[in-house]
Amino acid sequence: MDIRPILSALLRNKTGAILIALQIALTLAIVCNAVFIIHDRIVKMDRPTGIDVDNIFVVDMTGYAPDYNPETAIRAHLDELRSIPGVVDAAPSEAIPLSGGGWNSGFQTTPDPKGKYINVGVFQADEHSLNTLGTALIAGRNFTHEEIEHQTRDGYKNPNIAILSRAAAEKIFPGQDPIGKVIYEDTPDPITIVGEVGTLEGYWPTWEGFERQIIFPTVFLRPNTRYLVRTLPGQQGEVMKTAEQKLNDSHQGDYLRHVRTLNYYKDRTYEGDHALLVMLIVMSGLILGITALGIAGLASFSVSQRTKQIGTRRALGARRTDIVRYFMTENWLITSIGVILGSVFAVALNYWLVVLFKVSPISWYYIPVGILCLWALGLTAVMGPALRAAAIPPAIATRSV
Amino acid sequence: MFVYNLKLALLSMRRNPVLTALMVSAIAIGIGMSTTTLAIYHVLSGNPIAYKNDQLYAVQLDNWDPNSPYNDPDEPPEQVTYLDATGLMKAAKATHQEASIVATLTMQPDNPAIKPYLTIARVTYNDFFSMFDVPFQYGTPWSKDADDSAQQVVVLSQATNEKLFGGANSVGKEITLNNRRFRVVGVMKRWNPEPKFYDLNNGALDDPEDLFIPFSLIQPMQLHGSGNNSCWKNTPDKTFQGYLNSECVWIQFWVQVKDKAAAEDYHSFLDAYVQEQKKLGRFPRPLNNHLRNVDEWLHYEKVVPPEVKVLVALSFMFLAVCMLNTIGLILAKFLRRSGEIGLRRALGASRMALFRQYIVETGVVGLGGGILGIGVGWVGLFGLRHLLSGDAGKAAHLDWTMVGVGISLAIVASVLAGLYPAWRVVRIPPALYLKVQ
Amino acid sequence: MLKMESISKIYRTDVVQTHALRDFSLEVKEGEFVAVMGPSGSGKSTFLNIAGLLESFDGGSYTLDGEDVSHLNDDDRSRIRNQRIGFIFQGFNLIPDLNVADNVEVPLRYRGFNAAERAKRVQQALETVGLASRMKHIPAQLSGGQQQRVAIARALAGDPRVLLADEPTGNLDSLMARQVLDLLEGINANGTTIVMVTHDPELARRAHRSVHVLDGQVTDLKAVPDSGRRETKGVQA
Repeated sequence: MDIRPILSALLRNKTGAILIALQIALTLAIVCNAVFIIHDRIVKMDRPTGIDVDNIFVVDMTGYAPDYNPETAIRAHLDELRSIPGVVDAAPSEAIPLSGGGWNSGFQTTPDPKGKYINVGVFQADEHSLNTLGTALIAGRNFTHEEIEHQTRDGYKNPNIAILSRAAAEKIFPGQDPIGKVIYEDTPDPITIVGEVGTLEGYWPTWEGFERQIIFPTVFLRPNTRYLVRTLPGQQGEVMKTAEQKLNDSHQGDYLRHVRTLNYYKDRTYEGDHALLVMLIVMSGLILGITALGIAGLASFSVSQRTKQIGTRRALGARRTDIVRYFMTENWLITSIGVILGSVFAVALNYWLVVLFKVSPISWYYIPVGILCLWALGLTAVMGPALRAAAIPPAIATRSV
Repeated sequence: MFVYNLKLALLSMRRNPVLTALMVSAIAIGIGMSTTTLAIYHVLSGNPIAYKNDQLYAVQLDNWDPNSPYNDPDEPPEQVTYLDATGLMKAAKATHQEASIVATLTMQPDNPAIKPYLTIARVTYNDFFSMFDVPFQYGTPWSKDADDSAQQVVVLSQATNEKLFGGANSVGKEITLNNRRFRVVGVMKRWNPEPKFYDLNNGALDDPEDLFIPFSLIQPMQLHGSGNNSCWKNTPDKTFQGYLNSECVWIQFWVQVKDKAAAEDYHSFLDAYVQEQKKLGRFPRPLNNHLRNVDEWLHYEKVVPPEVKVLVALSFMFLAVCMLNTIGLILAKFLRRSGEIGLRRALGASRMALFRQYIVETGVVGLGGGILGIGVGWVGLFGLRHLLSGDAGKAAHLDWTMVGVGISLAIVASVLAGLYPAWRVVRIPPALYLKVQ
Repeated sequence: MLKMESISKIYRTDVVQTHALRDFSLEVKEGEFVAVMGPSGSGKSTFLNIAGLLESFDGGSYTLDGEDVSHLNDDDRSRIRNQRIGFIFQGFNLIPDLNVADNVEVPLRYRGFNAAERAKRVQQALETVGLASRMKHIPAQLSGGQQQRVAIARALAGDPRVLLADEPTGNLDSLMARQVLDLLEGINANGTTIVMVTHDPELARRAHRSVHVLDGQVTDLKAVPDSGRRETKGVQA
């Protein structure tokens, strides 16, 4: 390929080329980092939850009457909810998984207060909870009806049995079978692990301990009560309507606050990530578009400036493909300078993001893939002006003016 | 001369409508993107009570676990215990002080046709209103006496007053909360500090609470906070009183002092207070109390999420790409007009005059791009409000400051972008233009 | 070498059609130096464009160097321009961003010669026009006469069968014009056929014969008396 004369012609008209090369460099830096962040967030949002999220909804109620009795109210509401056709199971719940709000505490393998506590999310459950969440037991057993303790908030004391999630068990008892083992919170009272569930995500997605949970056989007796309800696939809407009607007519001295899908809470938890994602996608798309327009714009300017020259080349024997190839080569040269600079920019930008915003370091292959994309983008963008250049008739060469 | 230049600019824009449209839209998209991110940053990084920055301080006491700090590396909790909140209120060493929590209460309307519903209350002291300059529509804050004797009085937000009393003056009327009768003493005007600096633990962009009641009602009503609650030590006394006496932190504490010096005095007082408490066996960690003014507090609580900063940074790089694009287009446009430049020079226009003409032209393009960019930004923020359903979406709006910033940014950026092309074009000797072509 | 028979060329716009050439016939023999003359608008430029395969024509036939080039596609026309025709333009048409050597090399690149062959031919061509020492200059650094000589070198480098010159001295003062003409005569003396379009009778007198074009037709064919063909020496730069 005849690169040398193209390069020397380029060097005599540096400004346009430098502008485009800089644009390409910045574009590569932005798009590589944006796509990397996008991918990172998508992976984060698509992690398996261990919960049948799509088929669960959440009911919130509040007791207020002087004769309100949370224990009878909870029993009555659960009976009512479980009797609705299409309901798989229902269970009381203190906090909402994946909602960004909940309870966590530290546990360890010795009663020594100076020991190494491991923080885990705390779930309160009855014997229906695992089935309601759709979370699979992988070892040990579930709680029995008799083991469920009804407790008040101020009088709360840990039950002496618990179920751990896989991630919690692995962190507290690395490489061991947790069933039958004992852990402690901040009292000398031992808690025996009776069961282990697989993946179970907790309350705060940004927390490193998001997958570590402990489940206690507890139901809280307090004015604000909450129920998780799992339905058969496709029947959620219907069941929610029925549940709302029934609970609006509560005769337990409490009132219904809201009935919302678990996805409502999950979406709100991730809406920041989602918004970031959309912003970055829009930004990357627009910047690629603008850079393509810039390349096409400057190329067509240079075509119109070089009309005579192109006609002369044609007169001297250049075929149309030679002219197209000339502009393609020229663009490829500019893009290549841009992407070399851009690779440095991309790494620098990523370094800066890592240092200031704790973004993870970019995987190396984003840069070569980005370079290929920008080459393709540049060649596509220059195609139009190059074809127009090729259409310049050779007779232009003999025309004065 | 400026008007003449303006006329020339408009003429020239009309002569190259496609090029002009390209330039204006490149600037508009760049400005739109950066105003979108900047508007969010602007709301989140704002300090709605900056004029009291040297007077208002968030109080942090380190009553935490001797074996591990509340937050790494060695930060005390953001909230205080009930013991310390009431202790510091009683000492009253600052000009003003208030402790507060958020609690959910059941509103029981007198009209039996309306079902009871959940309402969010801030439980605080009467100084809250004067410290944070809460504007009142009707009535006043409750009295010091009401605080001391746990009177059932309430200040309503404008929205709550609208809902319950149709916006009429409700001072003296009564409402029922958690089966207790409360007398309305005041109604606030619309008040919505963004960010909600006085309580960043429970949603920095949440609306202010529906109503406000005295802190001294916590004990008789057995109110738990509905916000963040952290404990490190097991409470042996399993009663509500036991909880109040525990080392759990769940109360926000603010003081107002005269100035920075007074703040230092107050800091010494806090240290002395903690030393006293140490004698009672509390505060096992080394002395580590903090007074943070509003700015420092907003910063410490990371009101601006890192993601927003990343977006602002990326959007400015984006703007840079748009401007590089524009420089290229302007250069192309100016160079294409070489003949006209030579002619004007030959007719006696000085370099400076021509330079000014081109800068005015790019300024006009920038203005157009800026105005359109504000539109693009508005669309961007509109979209974001849809993506951010809750209170976070409230940060996604444009105020007049942002409109001004957006348009000025566009003009400055495009004039900067025009500098190099204008300089290059007027620098070439006029004869060259006249001779060739 | 070049034979046109009954060539017609019509330019059409929405409203009018103009017959640029009608029933145009001309034959140029190998080794001839022919001047094509005529006032502006007579069709002589159209003739040149068609002769140089820069434009197509509507009727008639055209044989160049023994090959019928009437119905060739664009690529083949490019190839013939490249290999058999050398162009000299009134405005020189040098590429301003390329230096002298690179300019001369342009047609050689399209011909696919290797680097050594290109370098050799560039060197030879520039020596012929006496500008071998200016290889690294860019066109703007040269005088008009020098630029036209570079253009001639570019036309010669590919060893064309015929040189087509379009008012080759139109942009030059008389001294430089004479040098260029001397050069053309020398080239012709070495066997290259030259067809030169001009409106200047002075120039035409230096050709073997002149052809007059009027209203798109050849009006008469008369041999111009041999105005003393001289042996051309290398022209000094």
